[in-house]
Amino acid sequence: MKGLIRKRPVAIFVLLLLMLFVTVMASALVGSPGVDISFPRVIGIIFSGLPGIGKMLPEYSGTDVIIIRQIRLPRILLGVLGGIALSISGTSMQGIFKNPMASPFILGVSAGAAFGAAASVVLGLGMYTLPAVAFVSAMGTALLVFGLGRIHGKTDVATLLLAGLAVNFLMQSLTAYLIYLSPPEKRTSIIFWMWGSFNGTVWQEFWIVLPVVIIGMIIVYVFSRELNVLQLGDESALYLGVEVEKTKIVLLGASSLLAAVVVSFTGIIGFVGLIIPHATRIITGPDHKKLLPTAAIIGGIFMVLCDTISRASGEIPIGIITGLFGAPFFIYLLLRSRGETGW
Amino acid sequence: MVNLAVKKMYAGYGQKEVLKNINMTVKHGDFLGVIGPNGCGKSTLIRAITGVVDTYKGNILLGGSSIKEMNRKDIATKVAVVPQNTFIGFPFTTWEVVLMGRNPYTHRFESLKEEDYERANRAVKITKTEKLKERRVNTLSGGELQRVVIARAIAQDPKLLLLDEATSHLDIGYKVEMMDMIKKMNREEGITVISVHHNLDIAARYCDKLVLIDNGRIRTMGEPEAVLTPGHLRAVYGIEAEVHENPRDGTLYISPIDHKEIERTYKERIHVICGGGTGRKLLKALVDAGYGVSTGVLNAMDTDLRRAEFLDIDVVAEAPFSPIGDEKESENMEKIMGAETVILTDFPVGSGNLNNMKAGLKALKAGKEVILMDLIDISKRDYTGGKAEKLYLEMIENGAKIATSVKDVLAQIG
Repeated sequence: MKGLIRKRPVAIFVLLLLMLFVTVMASALVGSPGVDISFPRVIGIIFSGLPGIGKMLPEYSGTDVIIIRQIRLPRILLGVLGGIALSISGTSMQGIFKNPMASPFILGVSAGAAFGAAASVVLGLGMYTLPAVAFVSAMGTALLVFGLGRIHGKTDVATLLLAGLAVNFLMQSLTAYLIYLSPPEKRTSIIFWMWGSFNGTVWQEFWIVLPVVIIGMIIVYVFSRELNVLQLGDESALYLGVEVEKTKIVLLGASSLLAAVVVSFTGIIGFVGLIIPHATRIITGPDHKKLLPTAAIIGGIFMVLCDTISRASGEIPIGIITGLFGAPFFIYLLLRSRGETGW
Repeated sequence: MVNLAVKKMYAGYGQKEVLKNINMTVKHGDFLGVIGPNGCGKSTLIRAITGVVDTYKGNILLGGSSIKEMNRKDIATKVAVVPQNTFIGFPFTTWEVVLMGRNPYTHRFESLKEEDYERANRAVKITKTEKLKERRVNTLSGGELQRVVIARAIAQDPKLLLLDEATSHLDIGYKVEMMDMIKKMNREEGITVISVHHNLDIAARYCDKLVLIDNGRIRTMGEPEAVLTPGHLRAVYGIEAEVHENPRDGTLYISPIDHKEIERTYKERIHVICGGGTGRKLLKALVDAGYGVSTGVLNAMDTDLRRAEFLDIDVVAEAPFSPIGDEKESENMEKIMGAETVILTDFPVGSGNLNNMKAGLKALKAGKEVILMDLIDISKRDYTGGKAEKLYLEMIENGAKIATSVKDVLAQIG
């Protein structure tokens, strides 16, 4: 089975794309408790809304059209983007750090975003400025860690890891302090934001996130061979013609950007960026040319599934779901493949 | 044709200058060894040649062009490096790792070409790693992994191969196999090799030329015979050593000498009558214990003689394949008379060295303490038809003591 997967990566990729499509469709069927729309009607509403083939289908109307097209679809598709972005970011981080314990949040992106979000809630900034403030704070934090992690013009991953740890704690403490200072209702909304949610996603958000994710994805993929060679160690990578410093800067930048743009809109969603690369590596092996695209699709599927559970359960925050459902699945994968992959 | 030229180079890490005023040229097809004590800058030299450390002054020319003007991919198509250890983060297969050697030849937006697979295939053939192709590198032994890393370096098609203590942690079997393979590539394909060694014997055996680095500077450079001299070893490594020529192929090897032997003070004199290797351990033990030792008569081809010479012991030697003559016998008796104790090991006795047994008896009669080592029974090493055994029994009758081991000997004389 595993040999087959390693030898036919393209077939697996197509199969996974198909699974993603089915997951998206199935997810559109599932609503908040009490809202039931029939399967053919959901499919009809989705396809009639598409440009081109939409004209060939009958017109739909009613509140369920709004529910499907304006509420469920943007949310599901942002979920796909979020899953893709966090998985790619996590894969790239694990590659740069040569460590399967690395996550997209190693440079303090999530802690920075949380601080920005908490600050905007406390200051009473509007709904639309929150993601912007969170994003600026996330990237600012990442830049700070990156600056601290550079010695003599070289990026040392061990130093970077420790700098990230310290800055993460600093930002978390600042956020906790803001929560401590806030009145109860603001506390609740900060804490809820920190648990993550796709609830209330509008198309506009999707269209903002989409180009950033596409650009980030392409950048990381273009450096996939360098990511492979980096696994032999920085010095060996230099001997093999890799501009190690440049590669690290570009990849750290792209990975932080991917993670920051997602969490700024959705709140912190942990686990995905840590676990999906790892789980995918069990299937595809460590070659980033196969690993990156496969992890992206698996991440998308996983995120949509978790968000569907969140929706069906009356909006339990997705950050809770990803850990609650992802961890046992991951443990299963780990036990099954123990000793085979070296991790 | 000059392959590599280093001119007045100073190099190091940030503020720390490690190499000073390095000048060397390496010709196409050379096999150069770099030796020197820990921390002298050997590895830094390898890094400087590939441009991965800071060079403050001077210049490094690779195939005529300065490495400062070359990008990493240019350098990687000319130079490959095999480090001492490679830790590979994720479980790639051997084949994936070997193909990484083609990275310098692959454009960012390109996939690997037919030629890349051919070169990688050739590399696994040369290194005999074909069977490991599908194995994941985390399941390989240290020796296998190092072969894979070499295969990767060969796949790089380098003009210059740099080995940074590449065989240090391998067992002697892998060490020799690997160096043989690299020597073969050096001979047959003209790949220039520069290899850093801790093991001076391996360096002397494989390298045509050696560079001895001491404290960041080149101490000397040249043929192994000119570099590996006791004087250089003393000055750079701080050891007293003897340099020997391997009788088999003429390569050099180093034997460090115990400090005890240098500063010995004599307790009393002991004369050892031995032969055929039976005295090897005893001679060393006596010298270590601080006795003044003499030995004889030994045949010039005897292994005990070589040991005695290494230990700087006073020896009476007879010409090869000759029975002990009168001249040597009287010389031997002089040594015996100058000693307090005479020890006879359990050497085989034939007509040629029967006189040695007689000397033992004479010593006894002259009042010397005589100890007979008796690990092998006299009847089993007597090739004189009983003459030796008779002398042996006569010695015992006259008060010779018997010892059953080297330790026993030391106990009896101490």
